[in-house]
Amino acid sequence: MTVWPFVRLKLRLTANGLRGRPARIVLFVMGALVAGFFAIAGYSSFAVPGVLNSSFGAELTLPLGGAALVLGWLFLPLIFFGVDESLDPARFALLPLTRRTLIAGVFTAAMVGLPALATLAATAGMVDTAARLGGPAAALAQVVGVLLGLFLCVAVSRAVTSAFATALRSRRSRDLAAIMLALLAAAIGPLQLIALAGAQRADWDTVASVARVVAWTPLGAPYSIGLDVAAGHTWQIPLKLLIAVAAITALLWWWSRTIESAMVGTASAARRKTAPTTRNPVELLLFRRVPRTRFGALMSRELRYWWRDPKRRANLITFSMVSLFLPVSATVSAGSPASMSLLVGTLAALALANQFGFDGSAYAANITSGVPGRTELTSRTAAHAVYTLPVLLVGAVLVGVLSADPARIPSTLGLLLAAYGVGLGLVLPLSVRAAYALPESPNPFAMSSGGGATKGLLALAVLLAAVLVSLPVQLIALFIGPIWLWIGLPVGVAYGIAGFLIGSGVAADQLDRRMPELLATITPNR
Amino acid sequence: MSLRGLVKHFDTRLAVTGVSLEVPAGSFFGLLGPNGAGKTTTLSMAVGLLRPDQGQAFLLGYDVWADPPAAKARLGVLPDGVRLFDRLTGPELLAYHGLLRGMDATTVDQRARELLEVLELGAGNRTLVVDYSAGMKKKIGLACALLHAPRLLVLDEPFEAVDPVSAALIRDILQRYVAGGGTVVFSSHVMEVVERLCDHVAIMSDGVLRMHGPLDQVRGDRSLEDVFVQVVGGRVATGSELAWL
Repeated sequence: MTVWPFVRLKLRLTANGLRGRPARIVLFVMGALVAGFFAIAGYSSFAVPGVLNSSFGAELTLPLGGAALVLGWLFLPLIFFGVDESLDPARFALLPLTRRTLIAGVFTAAMVGLPALATLAATAGMVDTAARLGGPAAALAQVVGVLLGLFLCVAVSRAVTSAFATALRSRRSRDLAAIMLALLAAAIGPLQLIALAGAQRADWDTVASVARVVAWTPLGAPYSIGLDVAAGHTWQIPLKLLIAVAAITALLWWWSRTIESAMVGTASAARRKTAPTTRNPVELLLFRRVPRTRFGALMSRELRYWWRDPKRRANLITFSMVSLFLPVSATVSAGSPASMSLLVGTLAALALANQFGFDGSAYAANITSGVPGRTELTSRTAAHAVYTLPVLLVGAVLVGVLSADPARIPSTLGLLLAAYGVGLGLVLPLSVRAAYALPESPNPFAMSSGGGATKGLLALAVLLAAVLVSLPVQLIALFIGPIWLWIGLPVGVAYGIAGFLIGSGVAADQLDRRMPELLATITPNR
Repeated sequence: MSLRGLVKHFDTRLAVTGVSLEVPAGSFFGLLGPNGAGKTTTLSMAVGLLRPDQGQAFLLGYDVWADPPAAKARLGVLPDGVRLFDRLTGPELLAYHGLLRGMDATTVDQRARELLEVLELGAGNRTLVVDYSAGMKKKIGLACALLHAPRLLVLDEPFEAVDPVSAALIRDILQRYVAGGGTVVFSSHVMEVVERLCDHVAIMSDGVLRMHGPLDQVRGDRSLEDVFVQVVGGRVATGSELAWL
């Protein structure tokens, strides 16, 4: 039993997903273009040291660039894209396959995809550099290194998303997992700060010593093998190969463990016995001080769902961490608080971009009860705002405190709220028109194939549009000087509310006309 | 319920081709058909979940696609293959449906408790609906459809995955509901249930309504199963194949 049936299955699933769906094909082509751009840009930047015949440059670029790629494969699926779960190992649970065959097959199939191809093409630039610096022997060693690096990238993304998914699924450990996820997200910030600081000071010796250390970690080891051949350090090669292979093996072992517990875990997970309650059903559903109406019911259900649905909770937690960390890193590195506010406010609104997709076919209940579009959208936004507004407030306070200028807090909050409102105004119509089905997988990071590209492109489009729409507020903030500190909050709030009202009006109108069509797009194919 | 010439295509496949059907008020109506006959598609179009390519659907005299709020207010639906908001507990889900229908909180509480007790789901049960068994999910779905005391119930496969005791309970509830003047339309492919409950039946296959009318008229002096197999066609016995089994 070889791995080829898995690869063929993956290709067949991708092709069937595209067949007869022009929108999917367009997205796929755009994804391919982005991947192609990434591949060419990566190849050229990794080939530069070779062309310049600079072995010092190569010793910096290859390990550090390679490590950045591995980290990208680690973080991006968790935060932005999710993983393509069309070959979910759990689906093979009933087939007579050994664990070794299954892991090998699913792992190989995971490498058949645009991200992996783009990574391979980009790192091929390293082979170019190794060949120019050290001849065919170095090139050959680097080919091995680049392939090991690709295996490492794929293994790390699979193992980590799968481990998080398992952890988030079990009630016992999910809080712990949430905190770990938050820490992972938060770890991006310091890395970015260190990189920025190093580049700003042009302190290449420090960077070189970092690169030398990284070359001995699993992150950089596979990528520096060719250079060792070129430099004549042949004794290092077996050690580095060992490091890389050991890391890949460990990751695959970890992955297979979590897969196994995921396969049997859902059936045997201990259900928490809860004591029966004597409270009335309505009291159980509604939060205190929420009106006992249709609006209140919708809002309370959304509030509970943002916490109880692992997909939404993962979304909420990552957003909270990113939105607390961005202000801090922007203030510490003396970046622009205005553009930071724009990014954070829009990111907050983006959580609602596929709000109906989260519900899936359950949304049918709201259609058969005849909920008007306006009530539907305002209640959902209200529930989301309950979670988001405190986070934005804390972000604004952090900016004020860290920059030792508390007077900036209200105006920063104003900018954040303006961006949030404008973002909502853009996202709500999109959530009705551009909804897509999420797979019914227990993995909160799972995307149907093509879903990741949709999500990424939508986010980019909304971000660009938000920049344009909130330009007036940004300009006012920039040019009127100190008065902004006083009027920033009311102006920002008014701007945000206006953006929200316009967008939600358009969206409510569309929703009233398109409810059945929306239901059809968010119902996962059975 | 009255359907007039409903047509639905999926891509190029014709799922339902011109279904016209009159369901008399106060009747217990069974829609029969093999898997893939278009039962779910037809019922989805009738209750406003799937927009028909052609045709009209009237519920209690209101056009579902021209005046949805009026039609939906008098309708209770149990869809099949559709998830509930299953990360709520049973009582929470009922309260949600009740308030969504614009009922006042006291009535919701009182009726929800009664339904939970009768259906043996437990008024104080704090298990999430996602952790319910398949049969319990059907029962809570039925409770959601009944909560606002609609005049018309449209149920898609209400007896699937339900254990015999619960099925008997559901049958009793539905018979009482019809005796009180309500109308029930449900789909099934279990002949015994339909034969026992319904006074009107319709048989669908391949998106076409093959037969409909009062049960005795459709059945004649044969069993409903014989009529069904004859109308729908298809083989019911193996020949020389599968000898290895």
